[in-house]
Amino acid sequence: MSAEVINLSQLQNDHGDFVERVRKMSGQDVRKCYQCGKCSAGCPVHNCEGMDVSPNRIMRMVQMGMEEDVLRTKTIWICVLCSTCTARCPRDIDIARVMDALRIMSFERKITEPAKTANIFHEMFMNNIKKYGRMYEFGFAVGYTMKTGYMLNLLDVGPATLLKGNLAFFPPHMKNSSQIREIAENVEKIERMEGEH
Amino acid sequence: MKYAYYPGCSLHSTAKGFDMSVKDVCKKLDIELWEVPDWACCGASSAHSFGHLLGLAVPAKTLVPAEKEGLDIVAPCAACWQRLVWVNHEVNSNPKMKEKINKAIGAELNGTSNVLSVMEAIAAAGEEKISQAVKKPLKGLKVAAYYGCYYVKPPKIAHVDDPERPHMIDDLMAAVGAEPVDWPYKTECCGASLNFVDFNTTLAMSKKVVDIAVKSGADIIVTACPICQMNLDMLQAKMNKKFGTNFNIPVCYFTQLMAVAMGSSPADVGMNKNYVPFESTLAKSG
Ligand code: SF4
Ligand code: SF4
Repeated sequence: MSAEVINLSQLQNDHGDFVERVRKMSGQDVRKCYQCGKCSAGCPVHNCEGMDVSPNRIMRMVQMGMEEDVLRTKTIWICVLCSTCTARCPRDIDIARVMDALRIMSFERKITEPAKTANIFHEMFMNNIKKYGRMYEFGFAVGYTMKTGYMLNLLDVGPATLLKGNLAFFPPHMKNSSQIREIAENVEKIERMEGEH
Repeated sequence: MKYAYYPGCSLHSTAKGFDMSVKDVCKKLDIELWEVPDWACCGASSAHSFGHLLGLAVPAKTLVPAEKEGLDIVAPCAACWQRLVWVNHEVNSNPKMKEKINKAIGAELNGTSNVLSVMEAIAAAGEEKISQAVKKPLKGLKVAAYYGCYYVKPPKIAHVDDPERPHMIDDLMAAVGAEPVDWPYKTECCGASLNFVDFNTTLAMSKKVVDIAVKSGADIIVTACPICQMNLDMLQAKMNKKFGTNFNIPVCYFTQLMAVAMGSSPADVGMNKNYVPFESTLAKSG
């Protein structure tokens, strides 16, 4: 049996454009990664078995141009962006920013399958603040639970939150509650114009 | 000293005790807080995952009034703080991005207001001022100061303190008479908002932090982040059920302990809103 030989330089030539797009979006050159594994060793989510692919393997997949596979990992959505990896990387790569860039790419491609709950969470979060200007946590908790069953996790502790007056029943009150929606619309316009150039 | 103040959404809901205690401590130290008028959500933990510009433009607007007033700004929530720090960083280092941000918010932002964590603002009042304000030193109270991630990582952007061995909150605890314990999990992640997405992983992450704090001999854990406080405090009941542990360690904001040491009652600074009871622990000190 012979081991499959991987020629990284060849792969980087063939799929270089993915590494390049990741670099543009994150400002990070993933080619610099030499696979020491330090990012994975200190990753708190990986250490609690929350990821399907370890952070250093994500970096390797980017180097190898495995766009389709990497954008379908649970890891990129489950990463908490704690930046422990970034703080420790001997090659000075901001791995957390790479993760965030991969998220944006997978979001743009509407790949929601590997981390459905994460997608629902972020989408509902954005909709909530676009509507109210500030987070309406009680409304969010109810809506999010209807979609994902989240509050069932907190049956032992949840109701206490409400009783202690930590969550307001009514939406937050502010003068211009559509600020965030307006900013988001402007951002869309700016990005559309850029895309046309 | 006068600062602009950005409480952020959490301090108006799940973290009211943080808001109450920050205001209380600042008042006692003659630090004036001017709340940014009609502030909006900073967009953490989601906006940045939909686009880099969106993640910057949403929090950017908050900085405009502070800049106009010529004030540095204090943001007690760790997530808000880091989002605002990112905005300043980009505005100051990336002219193209600055232009886009300003276009998106329809205002002129120049990145001239420093964004301060509440630890920095309080520490800046000076040791003398702080020790003068202490009425009931927290003698004998062993405190595990927990910093979490956002204040210290990534270190190039977020550098309130050392990413592996920060001490700023420890120093403030010592200044009000408590005994900070040395422990290795000061900046280990609690799981943050992963709580909502993968509950069991978050539970395991938070459990490690509580476990090491208890094993290090702490009577109480203090934080400076609403989501850390919630995870470490609220989830203890759940941890005990799942892992057969016996945790019962109070978790509060470091400003709550400071306020108590400066003579406020725990209820005045919202400590009764926390989950694990603190009364017997506080009774031990003094
Ligand atoms: S720590 Fe840096 S160099 Fe090491 S494997 Fe991770 S990304 Fe690569
Ligand atoms: S930022 Fe993401 S990948 Fe890096 S250590 Fe934290 S959870 Fe792991």
